[in-house]
Amino acid sequence: MALTIRYFAALRDAMGTTEHVVDHIPGANGEALVDRLIARDPAAQALAHPSVRLIVNDEIAPRSQSLRDGDTIAFCPPFSGG
Amino acid sequence: MTVSVKVQTESFDPGALINSLTGRDSACGAVASFIGQVRGGGDLVALELEHYPGVTEQALRRIAGEAVRRWALGEAVIVHRVGKMAIGEPIVFVGASAPHRHAALEATGFMIDILKTQAPFWKREHTTSGSHWVEPRPGDDAAAAAWLAGEKDLTA
Repeated sequence: MALTIRYFAALRDAMGTTEHVVDHIPGANGEALVDRLIARDPAAQALAHPSVRLIVNDEIAPRSQSLRDGDTIAFCPPFSGG
Repeated sequence: MTVSVKVQTESFDPGALINSLTGRDSACGAVASFIGQVRGGGDLVALELEHYPGVTEQALRRIAGEAVRRWALGEAVIVHRVGKMAIGEPIVFVGASAPHRHAALEATGFMIDILKTQAPFWKREHTTSGSHWVEPRPGDDAAAAAWLAGEKDLTA
């Protein structure tokens, strides 16, 4: 039971890693995941900012979305392309 | 009705991309395009773009596809570079062919405005004193919101 967590751009710098794996807790959603990541590492407070978007399995997802075993969750700072 | 999107590290020739849109479709009387390039100023040395491979291409296809649907385009093209770029180099090309000018011009504006807020790209500025991530401009969200008023998030 695991989730793959990815970080991009400024959030990767803040978290000091590109990717890691955490246990999946059945029924947990994106919000609960952020709380759990903050408990592990205070730097994860940056993930709680409302401008941070979650991409779950390649689709933008609300934090209220329930996560499933095997999901890949990417934390994305506001986009700045173009 | 063709959609073509590409994310690449190598530079591109904007003129060649415009040429690829012209004279191809006899039903199209108009071609419009937008080219974004690295703006110099201050102590900027280079611009670097990061993206989310796979998700970016999917987002660009949706944006171009939506433009084709809304304005009945002949063709929609988006080319976006990633990696490091020098001042003056092209970053992004957006182009559209359509039966009439308003459709081509509006579709081009739509695609670049939406791309800025809906496609997972991140800019980093390298300066003579270090490097930092670029914050989106507040106006970017407003421009995208104006097009999307009452519409669903394209990437959701």
